[in-house]
Amino acid sequence: MSTPTRFFRITLLRSAIGLPTRTSGVLKALGLHRRLKTVYHPVTQDVAGQVFAVKELVDVQEVDRALSDKEMKQLRQPDSGFYVERRAGERVMGS
Amino acid sequence: MLSRHLKRACLDARWTLPPTFLLPFTANLTTVSHSAEASDIPEVLSHPVLKPSYDKSTKIPPRKLQRSSQPPSSSADDAPVVSSPPSPQSSAAIPRPPRSPLVLSDSVRELLPLLQAQGSHYITAHIYDRPYLLTAGDTVRLPFLMHGVRPGDVLRLDKASNLGSRDYTLKAAAAPPSLRSATTATTPALDPTTGHLSSESHVMPEPANADSRARIPGQAPHFIPHIAKFKHAYLDDRLFVCRAVVMGVEAEPMRIKEKTKRRNRRVKKVKSKHRFTILRIKEVTVRGLAEIERQRAPTASVEKSAKL
Repeated sequence: MSTPTRFFRITLLRSAIGLPTRTSGVLKALGLHRRLKTVYHPVTQDVAGQVFAVKELVDVQEVDRALSDKEMKQLRQPDSGFYVERRAGERVMGS
Repeated sequence: MLSRHLKRACLDARWTLPPTFLLPFTANLTTVSHSAEASDIPEVLSHPVLKPSYDKSTKIPPRKLQRSSQPPSSSADDAPVVSSPPSPQSSAAIPRPPRSPLVLSDSVRELLPLLQAQGSHYITAHIYDRPYLLTAGDTVRLPFLMHGVRPGDVLRLDKASNLGSRDYTLKAAAAPPSLRSATTATTPALDPTTGHLSSESHVMPEPANADSRARIPGQAPHFIPHIAKFKHAYLDDRLFVCRAVVMGVEAEPMRIKEKTKRRNRRVKKVKSKHRFTILRIKEVTVRGLAEIERQRAPTASVEKSAKL
């Protein structure tokens, strides 16, 4: 199979608690185990049908690149806001 | 030029620019129009909401002086918001990665010397995006254990949103508006059958693909629930110096949580004893205009030699 060029970026916005088992089964098949989790799936008829089954619960966008979990985690990390200028015991430059 | 950039990124462990594979994605998230930074990132897309009229630094004296903060000036006068990586300020052997030149607005040029002349200064420094109101001599007990540092290490805090003294405050430009997902925003659409608004429908706006530069104001290019960027607006770190020393690590008293269920005699005990890093703020100083100019000159020469 050729590498997919387009991906669905699917984010679960609403929970499936209280909904029929089939609906939560679809979410599990998509990999959406908790609210606000984001998954990437290639644009195919199968995935489109799955999304259509849970269309009221998810946000979908078509994108070119699928980000991995590690990449998404890096986007969530804030800047540290500091850097170590001098280690303990080091001499100051020039002194 | 980009490859040279990335080599420096690999050399400089402190540089927090997202890695290569994320650059196109994060470029799409740019909400500030960059003038000189376009060469650093392959695609820099400006967000129409955050127009260049956001004044990078506005001075707001508490008393109503006649020379209050200037109205937002054009993009040429604005210093770029620090979404670029923090450059190493210490005299490291690694050359500083090229940054866009610091452009100060008129109000900053006018009032920065006055701010600097006042004795004591405070700063709102952000460590992992959490603000701390600090001044020289403060002891800060961080709510976490800072890894990779030992007592005696000198830290340079470079993310700040406010810098002030008794009468003057240097604030960063207003934070960009929180990006809304396309799901929450709809546009009214004409009913194609009747052609007028009597039968109204709301459709999601035309989704812009990743490369499109036409963006709907106020909307995120994607749905971004927990993105860390653009939550706070920061000052340019070339305007101030804030140093802190790591004093040590403190621990709370041992806590024991008992976990059990009703009508069950088995009790599980969970122990907790969290540790916290203590910092002492050594120095909070505002750089003068002359010092900022002097800093700019070596940067220009480094850039020239890099391009040659």
